[in-house]
Amino acid sequence: MIGNPILLLLVVGPMAAAVIGYLIGRVNKSARDYFADAVTILTFLAMAFFFLTYKEGQEVSLVVPEVCGMGLSFKLDGFRIIFASVTAFMWMMTTIFSKEYLAHARNRNRYYFFLLVTFGATMGVFLSDDLFTTFVFFEIMSLASYVCVIHDEKKETMYAGAVYLAVAVIGGMVTLMGLLMLYHAAGTLQLDALLSVCEEIFPENARWLYIAGGCILFGFGAKAGMYPLHIWLPMAHPVAPAPASALLSGIITKTGIFGVIVISSRIFLHNGYWGMVILLFGVITMMLGGILAVFSLDLKRTLACSSMSQLGFIFVGIGMQGLLGEENALAVRGTMLHMFNHSNLKLVLFMAAGVVVMNLHKLNLNDIRGFGRKKPLLLYTFLMGSLGIGGIPLFNGYVSKTLIHESIVEYIELLKEGHGAATFAFASGAGTAALFKVIEWLFIITGAMTVAYMTKLFIVLFVEKNSDPEIQKKYEAKTNYCNKVTAAVLAITATILPILGVLPTMTLDKLADMGQGFMFGVSPHHAVHYFSLVNLKGGLYSIVIGALIYVVIIRGWMMVKMKTGTVVYVNRWPERLDLLELVYYPIVMIILPNVAAFICRCMDFMMDGLILLARKTTHRQLHGGKNPPKGYRVSFWLGGIFNTVTLWLNKTIYKKHPLKRDYVLRFAEKERVFKDANKIIVASVSFSLLMFGIGIIITVLYLFMVR
Amino acid sequence: MDINNYFLLFPVLLPIIAGVLLMFIKFGKREHMQLYILLILVIDLASIGWIALQPEDTLTLSQFFIAEGLHVFFHVDMLSKIFSVLIAFVWLMVGIASFEYMAHEKNEQRFYCFYLVVGGVLSALAFSGNLLTMYVFYEMMTLTSMPLVMHNLSHEAIMAGLKYLFYSVAGAFMVLFGFFLFNAEGRVLYFAPGGIINEPNPSGIMLFAVFLMIIGFGTKAGMFPMHGWLPTAHPVAPAPASAVLSGVITKAGVLGIIRSVYYVAGPDMIKGTWVQYTWIILSILTIFMGSMMAYKEKVLKKRLAYSTVSQVSYILFGLSVMQPIAFVGALMHVIFHSLVKNTLFVSAGAIICKTGKTKVRQLVGIGKEMPVTMWCFTLVSLTLIGIPPTSAFVSKWYLIFGALDSGIPGLSWVGPVVLLISALLTAGYLLTISIKAFFPGEDYDYTKLVNHEPTWRMLLPMVVMTALAVILGIWPAGLMKIFADIAASVL
Repeated sequence: MIGNPILLLLVVGPMAAAVIGYLIGRVNKSARDYFADAVTILTFLAMAFFFLTYKEGQEVSLVVPEVCGMGLSFKLDGFRIIFASVTAFMWMMTTIFSKEYLAHARNRNRYYFFLLVTFGATMGVFLSDDLFTTFVFFEIMSLASYVCVIHDEKKETMYAGAVYLAVAVIGGMVTLMGLLMLYHAAGTLQLDALLSVCEEIFPENARWLYIAGGCILFGFGAKAGMYPLHIWLPMAHPVAPAPASALLSGIITKTGIFGVIVISSRIFLHNGYWGMVILLFGVITMMLGGILAVFSLDLKRTLACSSMSQLGFIFVGIGMQGLLGEENALAVRGTMLHMFNHSNLKLVLFMAAGVVVMNLHKLNLNDIRGFGRKKPLLLYTFLMGSLGIGGIPLFNGYVSKTLIHESIVEYIELLKEGHGAATFAFASGAGTAALFKVIEWLFIITGAMTVAYMTKLFIVLFVEKNSDPEIQKKYEAKTNYCNKVTAAVLAITATILPILGVLPTMTLDKLADMGQGFMFGVSPHHAVHYFSLVNLKGGLYSIVIGALIYVVIIRGWMMVKMKTGTVVYVNRWPERLDLLELVYYPIVMIILPNVAAFICRCMDFMMDGLILLARKTTHRQLHGGKNPPKGYRVSFWLGGIFNTVTLWLNKTIYKKHPLKRDYVLRFAEKERVFKDANKIIVASVSFSLLMFGIGIIITVLYLFMVR
Repeated sequence: MDINNYFLLFPVLLPIIAGVLLMFIKFGKREHMQLYILLILVIDLASIGWIALQPEDTLTLSQFFIAEGLHVFFHVDMLSKIFSVLIAFVWLMVGIASFEYMAHEKNEQRFYCFYLVVGGVLSALAFSGNLLTMYVFYEMMTLTSMPLVMHNLSHEAIMAGLKYLFYSVAGAFMVLFGFFLFNAEGRVLYFAPGGIINEPNPSGIMLFAVFLMIIGFGTKAGMFPMHGWLPTAHPVAPAPASAVLSGVITKAGVLGIIRSVYYVAGPDMIKGTWVQYTWIILSILTIFMGSMMAYKEKVLKKRLAYSTVSQVSYILFGLSVMQPIAFVGALMHVIFHSLVKNTLFVSAGAIICKTGKTKVRQLVGIGKEMPVTMWCFTLVSLTLIGIPPTSAFVSKWYLIFGALDSGIPGLSWVGPVVLLISALLTAGYLLTISIKAFFPGEDYDYTKLVNHEPTWRMLLPMVVMTALAVILGIWPAGLMKIFADIAASVL
């Protein structure tokens, strides 16, 4: 091992702690909970130490040679410190929150075990310094998090989990293929070396690199909820325990983004074509996520679709990095900050949702309506999260969305000036500018949808009253809806958001400075004035359109007045319009396996079929041939002799204890068994082959000896 | 070659003699017989371990001539050491596990008699220094392992045994034919790294001979089209027998192929010929077919058998591309697959003998009843799928990388793709079992939970082999160095 072994401890430590925690859990359950808390807190403190002492150019690294054949390597630079810290922070908060959330659940020992394993693996992904290491921990993370997702083992949970696992495993395998191709082409997977090598070999190996990059994008993109591999996201989140959903949405999806960023900045740095592909996928993901979230009637599903949408924003940022080329400072910073913000936002929102679920065990908006009334802490938490994710000025989401928005605007400017064509040459000038104008508007509309669906959730939880006044009374009477520890966790996490939003230049900008080197970004020439009129205008558009969407679509179309006079939310999403049910399931589970299985069965039967043919024709089995009615001749003869001997012995030696056995019967039985088995064997194809073989061998031996 | 090291006969003859003796000794208690077997297996492993530590040039035995030109010759090189240690180790592990399993079978003593004999024969097979010796012991292995398959003598078992015999003998004839063709050229077929024939422009008949040998030995390794015996023989054989059949005896076929291709014919002779391409295509087909059939299979042991068909062909694929890195990957997969498959079959055996369940759909919640067994099952399943950092991931990484690097047009990337699809199917047919076993659903009745965990005799081998399968994946460097040396010597 060369370097700082603490890095390994950050990764392997939680995994080892998982085992210890499991053993503790066998004895004492609450000791185990505190132990898990302590592990996450310690890891967070270690990360906080690295964070506070970080100086540019002083990266800590670690190489563990020969592990898994290729060796692992870790590194802590600014970007990794930030996201490893976020990971540790999120795990700390969710682990503490888990204690109350899962207080009455079964199999908690298993949950904590896999929670900590996932923790270590996620740290491993963010600390990794080569794609091999990334992949190793990525796979461990995918599988370990599966167990956390399906914790309650309900039927729909298992189904959602199966989809999650299938996407993870398929993604993993495709990524593996991509990595191997990349390794084959470039000869290295080391992140620092990849860039220069890829630039060198790019001209003649472009096809290989694009295929490899596509494969890697497939796997990491699947984890990051990229269309069309997003299917697991809206399914897995609602069924998972809230702490697990928070982690899944907040940080595990970011490991996918991490991978995408790595390939975008190491293989295809400043590559316009690559950027365009990512951008298009990003736009689709962003829009689709937003639309699904608006239509969703399930609290956690809405948040999950929102995650998808926000991840789409991040993809847009990554795509813009490639398109903008050298001048991508805004895109780089926007991407990074939106990753950071979204993690924190989803932590808050999912934990708030978790509090609702913990009390009601229901997720449907009509059921949970009015639960939040007269609960100021819950309201505060949820409000901070909603405002943040909605991109409202003075909250953190606004800052990062503004940056990404600005980068699109900047590119449009470049196109108008005629520079943009240099990096992206499908079409030049006005046509492309118009395309990007459309993308800009889609961006704003998606932001508006965010505002709309968050408003929907907020109003459902905190403004509207439940349609059943009895239930409403019960909801309002419930004041001890969470214990003090959970309350503290909620308050702390929620308070961070406005602080980041109000003081972006002191907080977020500093983070961006720290991490942008990872994507080869440079600080922009002049500081961005987040609260200038131009930038506020984008945010305002979103809010206004968002309010329109809320009023017209959600209130006007999705809410129906029942005969009893109550207004309920109804599902307006066509049931059958589901990519999984419509396309993937039939193809992957029905058509492909059955076609392939038929072919394989034919192959499988080929040789056996020949044998069967031989047995039916040339080597017919002997049938009939009843047992001879009497006289197993050998046994009769041999048994007779034995009986005589016994008789004689009984007379002479065994006078006191005469032997009383009839050897004829004994031998007859044995002979029958022998004959039966023999008949089968002698009549078989194998036997004739064997005999033939022995014949050949004897002939050959004879030939050899004569010669 | 002059020094005769008679100690080489010890690990061969000891189990054979001990096995034959077992026919005549009457033990008062089962425990005494088990102790006797355990002792033999431990001594066997120790002696093989001792041999493995000796320098290579002292390990030759060249005393026996059947006739002029028919020379029984033993020579232990690195490859022999690896295989023989693997065989002896697995034999010991499965032996220990079988003590508990065989309690519910009849005629225990007869089983162990043949079990020990096959162990000895396999050691001889690994030690063989020329093709003739290898062929002799290869045939002996087939004949002595057949009773293991048809142990319970039901009609089904006898038919399966005969099928096993048919396939094996047919395969052996192909080998024999190839052997004659080689011999007809006046070659002396002693093994030498890199091959002794090694003609750059081989005649068609020579290529055909090599091809026959590949198919012939491929029969034991379960290569399409001669794989049919595996899925028939495994479900009826007692679990320990299926374990060694699948884990070790299939590897004897692999060893045969390595010897005949890399040590007799020579890779240069085959590289780029139709033999190589056919071999690659056949192994790719087998990989896909095996895992697809396993995915569709409902009986646990049969599923594992098809899985073996597919996994052993990973090894054959790695050998067929004739590239050093892929060769290393293939040899690693020999070790890893052996550990994994033995563990899988032993745990399947534990399930069968403790609960009597044989179908996959019956296994709901079994992880709650036998947690350690199913943990081992799950961990080795993950290994077999190739989830890092477990061992088969490492071997697959090198297999695929080697294949990509070989530059064979088309096949160099079709192979890896099929390998990965097969890995997906592996996940499909193994993980689903683990998921059912550990996550029986919320309405699972925990109050009716009965602990079916087998005793330590079955758990110990499982745990040891699982641990090895995982740990060797995390630190494969030692093994890799050995295999890289072998690869450098033959390619």
